[in-house]
Amino acid sequence: MRSVDLHIEGATSGAIEVARNRLVVPTFFFVLGFSILVIRLISIGMFEPMSDINTYTRVGTTELVRDRVDILDRNGIVMATNLKAPSLAVRPRLITAPEETADRILRVLPDLNRVRLLNKLKSSNHFVYIKRNLTPQQVWKINALGYPGLVLEEAEKRVYPQGSLASHVLGYVDLDNKPQAGIEKFANDHLSDPERSNDPLQLSIDLRVQHIMRQELAYAMDKFSALGGAGIVMDVNTGEVLAMTSLPDFDGNGAISPGAPEMKNRNILEPYEMGSGFKAFTVAMALDTGRISLDDKFDATEPLRVAGRTINDDHPKKRPLTVPEIFTFSSNIGASLMVRELGTDIQRDFLQKIGMFDKAEIELTGLSRPILPSRWGEIQSMTVSYGHGIAVTPLHLVTGIAAIVNGGRLIPATLIRKNESQEYADYDLKDLPGYRKYPQVISTETSVKMRHLMRLAVDYGSGGNARVDGYRVGGKTGTAEKVKNGVYSRKDKITSFTGVFPMDDPKYVIFVMLDEPRGIEETFYKATGGWVAAPVVGQVIRRIGPLLGVSPKAHVETKYQNLVLVKNNE
Amino acid sequence: MIKVVGGFFVLMVMIAAGTVYSLKETTERLETHKAQLATRILEDRAAIKVLHAEMAYLSQPERLQKLSQRFLALRPATSFQMADNVTSLSSREDDAVRLASAPVDQFPVLLPQEKPVFKAEKYRNAVTLAAYPATEEAPKVAQKEQVSKKTTRRMGFYERISLKLEDEK
Repeated sequence: MRSVDLHIEGATSGAIEVARNRLVVPTFFFVLGFSILVIRLISIGMFEPMSDINTYTRVGTTELVRDRVDILDRNGIVMATNLKAPSLAVRPRLITAPEETADRILRVLPDLNRVRLLNKLKSSNHFVYIKRNLTPQQVWKINALGYPGLVLEEAEKRVYPQGSLASHVLGYVDLDNKPQAGIEKFANDHLSDPERSNDPLQLSIDLRVQHIMRQELAYAMDKFSALGGAGIVMDVNTGEVLAMTSLPDFDGNGAISPGAPEMKNRNILEPYEMGSGFKAFTVAMALDTGRISLDDKFDATEPLRVAGRTINDDHPKKRPLTVPEIFTFSSNIGASLMVRELGTDIQRDFLQKIGMFDKAEIELTGLSRPILPSRWGEIQSMTVSYGHGIAVTPLHLVTGIAAIVNGGRLIPATLIRKNESQEYADYDLKDLPGYRKYPQVISTETSVKMRHLMRLAVDYGSGGNARVDGYRVGGKTGTAEKVKNGVYSRKDKITSFTGVFPMDDPKYVIFVMLDEPRGIEETFYKATGGWVAAPVVGQVIRRIGPLLGVSPKAHVETKYQNLVLVKNNE
Repeated sequence: MIKVVGGFFVLMVMIAAGTVYSLKETTERLETHKAQLATRILEDRAAIKVLHAEMAYLSQPERLQKLSQRFLALRPATSFQMADNVTSLSSREDDAVRLASAPVDQFPVLLPQEKPVFKAEKYRNAVTLAAYPATEEAPKVAQKEQVSKKTTRRMGFYERISLKLEDEK
């Protein structure tokens, strides 16, 4: 290969030399600049952390609306939810034409007062609230007005879509979303936790059952001009409350006056003397001791005189009665004699065991204690045997009756839905650990006997109005006179009925109580539990039975009916 | 030779650095997009919440009951409509029903029989119609309306007027 060396000499060669030397300087800067870029590139790639990813990954777990968690019923229907409801405020200094602005706002929010609105728009404050809790449509329209002086401030509102249907169970929140009653207050730790905004609280309430109970109770209250009513439907095997109504009730969406009578949940707040409903406990206790059997007779020929008081029967038979007869015909004398034979201590221990001495258990606030006799002598013991002289809340009675028919386990009532595995552990798989986690208050055999007795009370006794075609209903009526000004009032009564169905394998206990009902022509002016409360329970069972999938069975005569010698024709 | 190898490595380092940089850029863009999507999901969830509340409000049992009584010819289910097995579906006496069980699936099959005389059972006949008068009347009213529509078309003008006057009375 031949190369040609070109030599330029002279003046030209000097100029080129200068140019080459000068070129070195910019080349140096270029190289420096690019190496800085390269080094930066490498350092970004290797050492620079990426912009904060944490914010992105955390987004999925919280919600935009997250002040309070939703409450659902057992079928997943919304009972309480939080919705965005911005508040409208104004910065008066940014409003140029108050009259025109006011007119435009009034077109969107017609229920505002024009004069007051104008005062707010013209005021000298920096920031004035106009209205709380706007609906999404109103928000859109206000935004469409396009006034810079109007401010929409983010806020959330607790909404109860079911209105007053389950108001006593849910409770309510005040204007600042602070819970004031009900499960809102009890479960506030869960409900107000923003981290759990995706995890709604599922109650054991079934809204359909709740509606039926409320409707029938309201109907009966109207029919018998009662002051109030209470109703509970409870699953005897799990303690889940399917419906809990107290009338009159309130609407959590509206204005609430905390002291008003409709705020009172009669199921838990006020102890009442329950009357004959307590005989179920007396008889169960007597049979469970083994000292009294079903064939034993007690003489109810004459009213009983104890310590200057007389114990009478409401439906006197004037002859010795067997234990099933005492229960079926609701004999006060018989129940008193049974307790006298057993003794005061056994009765007291039993009532304590079955939870009549403490507050009832449920996920609500404001539970009240039972009112017990101050001293427990023979006469007190005898009146307690038929439900007088002791006052308990309806929830006490329902929990106790459930324990008596479900095989003898005292299961506390709950408003939280139990999941299926828990239900299984409770009653289906008896070998599972945890099956015996509830105290056994009576033996299973006694429980089976009590089922038959309660069935008898409906078939032949005072609860006949609770009979339902196709379902075997059992139960016990209760009528107690109210204490007014220290004396028992003949006229004002608390009437109740505790029904259980289906009696061959009890699933649900249904309790209905009416406060001061008045007899009407249809009931021969009687206002006893059998005439007033029992039909309500019957009607509720007739409607919820098919709904809850309880299969009907043909009518079968009850066991022990041979022990009930005379049919009660009342 | 060393120059060539050195130059090659410098080039490789630069390309690698450039790739890492562009990867990071893409990732961040995707992250931003994801964040936007997440926000939109949250907004949609909030909207779904409103719809759920609205649905619960519109399906209040009391409201549904009223609507059903007004517009539907349906009554509440009664106990006699419930059955837990095939035999209880039939009102025949027990010995009149023969159950054949297929060996494959052990599924009891009701064999066809002579039509039995209906024998009302004690717990099947009493249906509380009186409690829901509205549901009883709804189909009748609907039927009447249908009939009147058909016949009025064939009627003359004066006949229709007189019928309408009668209805209004």
